[in-house]
Amino acid sequence: MARVPFLAEAVMLACAVAAFYVFPYDLALITRFLVMILFVLSLDLVLGYAGIATLGHAALYGTGAYAAGLFAVHVSGDPLTGLAVGAGAGALLAFASGLLLMRSHGLTLLMLSIAVTLICQEIANKARDVTGGADGLRGIRMEPVLGIFKFDFIGRTGYWYALAVVVACYAVLKIATLSPLGLSARGIKDSAARMVAIGSPVYWRLVTVYTISGAIAGIAGALAAQVTQLVSLEVYAFNLSAEALIMLVLGGAGRLYGAVIGVVIFMTVHHVAAAVDPFNWLFIIGALILSVVFLVPSGVLGIPAAISDLFRRGNDAARP
Amino acid sequence: MHIFKRAALAATIAALCSSDSWADTIKVGVIAEFSGPFAMYGKQYREAVETYVAKHGTQAGEHTIEFIYKDVGGSNPDVAKTLAQELLIREEVDYLAGFTFTPNALAVAPLIDQSETPTVIFNAATSSINKGSQYFLRTSYTLPQVTAPLADWTFDQGIKTVVTAVSDYGPGIDAEKAFKAAFEKKGGKVVDAIRMPVATTDFTPFIQRVRSQNPNAVFAFLPGGPPTFGFTKTYNENGLAKSGIRFLGTAETEESNLQALGDAAIGLTTAFHYSAAHDSDVAREFNKAIKDKFPNAITNWASVGAYDGTHLIYEMVKAAGSDGPKALEAVKALKWESPRGPVEMDPQTRTVKQNVYIRGVERDTVSGLLVNREKGVIATVGDLGWTQ
Repeated sequence: MARVPFLAEAVMLACAVAAFYVFPYDLALITRFLVMILFVLSLDLVLGYAGIATLGHAALYGTGAYAAGLFAVHVSGDPLTGLAVGAGAGALLAFASGLLLMRSHGLTLLMLSIAVTLICQEIANKARDVTGGADGLRGIRMEPVLGIFKFDFIGRTGYWYALAVVVACYAVLKIATLSPLGLSARGIKDSAARMVAIGSPVYWRLVTVYTISGAIAGIAGALAAQVTQLVSLEVYAFNLSAEALIMLVLGGAGRLYGAVIGVVIFMTVHHVAAAVDPFNWLFIIGALILSVVFLVPSGVLGIPAAISDLFRRGNDAARP
Repeated sequence: MHIFKRAALAATIAALCSSDSWADTIKVGVIAEFSGPFAMYGKQYREAVETYVAKHGTQAGEHTIEFIYKDVGGSNPDVAKTLAQELLIREEVDYLAGFTFTPNALAVAPLIDQSETPTVIFNAATSSINKGSQYFLRTSYTLPQVTAPLADWTFDQGIKTVVTAVSDYGPGIDAEKAFKAAFEKKGGKVVDAIRMPVATTDFTPFIQRVRSQNPNAVFAFLPGGPPTFGFTKTYNENGLAKSGIRFLGTAETEESNLQALGDAAIGLTTAFHYSAAHDSDVAREFNKAIKDKFPNAITNWASVGAYDGTHLIYEMVKAAGSDGPKALEAVKALKWESPRGPVEMDPQTRTVKQNVYIRGVERDTVSGLLVNREKGVIATVGDLGWTQ
């Protein structure tokens, strides 16, 4: 690849700005893309960089959503403070649950992460007086962003607001992954035993990474709550964690822009298929996931490598 | 900007033509579940809508009506809101319909308020939804609407003690509270209130608990499908019916589940607003029309909610075209004969007022199938949950 610094980032940002003008009627949908991108980015940090396999990331997202929602209902409708509250709630839960989760690996970690999500969901379900239970938390009214930009019907403000948040969080993640912390996380992913041997505090590094990821996931949840103006129990759905994982694998874990590409492809196919045939579109999604797993297990970004691999093998076979 | 131009154009047209004297296409967006575990709802809605359209044509007054279906996949307020925005902004629909789950309906409330779009709820049964926007109309029912009359009727039958056993989720708890309030107001006594996990399949401990209290009846509220099946089966196997503890319910014996319940269902008493075995010409005609078009169709409360909802939309379009507030005004006290019996809109709650029927499950002597036979009727009940 050419050595232009931040080329991928610049291209993505240009695409996002262009999308505003090319799809003026689909801003609400693209805003949901952006929320999902943020959520998958947070998952990329733990799975792609630190190698923590979790199926409970929705716990952090949902907690951020409820925290921001409750803050907007009871304290203040200021969006940016709401985001900070969401980030704080996500980070707090990630830290608390991370203390336990990061002591385990593999399947145990997977099961525990699901358990944390289920506990959160049941608490939200039981505390009906606070969260509205299955009816959803309502009454979220947002004030204008920075006191200037009002949320409008078409979703223009929502779009720029979400884009700005995603860009800021992306920058933070970029710095985090290039920092010594990010590098040691990669080291832990490749070989935790060696990292211990060279004196790296593996456990606390993992807890730190998980907490940062929790803050970002919390922001994603808060953003969703502010844009939708309603929080339902579905923010804790297992489906959400699983779909995020699929999108990340589709785009290619371990690269930040991979998370972005995965979300865009998955949700575009999702949307187009559901629009063309609202009755049988799940078949298309199923086919997409199967083909990714079987054909390009390393994600879309692995396709060029997979093709050249295929040719090399072809040549090898041709040789006597 | 393109949208501004359109808005300006629309405003000009609206100002110039206060009479709706030109023919045009009115689009109706249906947001419902067409995939996933709740796809049954989408299927029932669509069959009912298409049957109505086949019967009455695509012409309503001087306008042509077109339905656009969007899949929301379940309780997904984010998706519901995005779909509603897409329908309103890009497809320029004038009416919205569908909505199985409460959060989905609540999520679109701010939108339809701004765009003045009448929105017909085919199912979502939480009473307070209609307070979210004055553009909501509901052709299904609300939980208190069927539960409270059942409690009154129960007391009048000489049943003085009841144990409630509900699934532990929003609607279940609402049903429990509504039943208890109405029953104790009459002078009855709820001796125990049991909440069962939604996902449980083993009801023996709960049924044993009911039995040990030895009440006159047990009031149950369960989501359709396996839980209802498990509960009624356990109820029979443990001999509760024989020892005189009556079963009282609402939607448990709804038609799409009923045949699967088998003989265990015979004798169960429920109070509900719709039975496919309702004895009227309109009901028989409805059943025949839907079966002619979809041979495997089974009509249940979701079908009739969508069928009446479509009727309401047709009436609004006839009266006011695409003028939302005027359309609302035109149907706010509309009366018509529905396949469920006579119904009318309540101008205050915007939910249908309807008869609630006390039914018993029987095996029909002609078809050999299980049916909800209507035994009694509590006439024109409004949304009893509105003032709570």
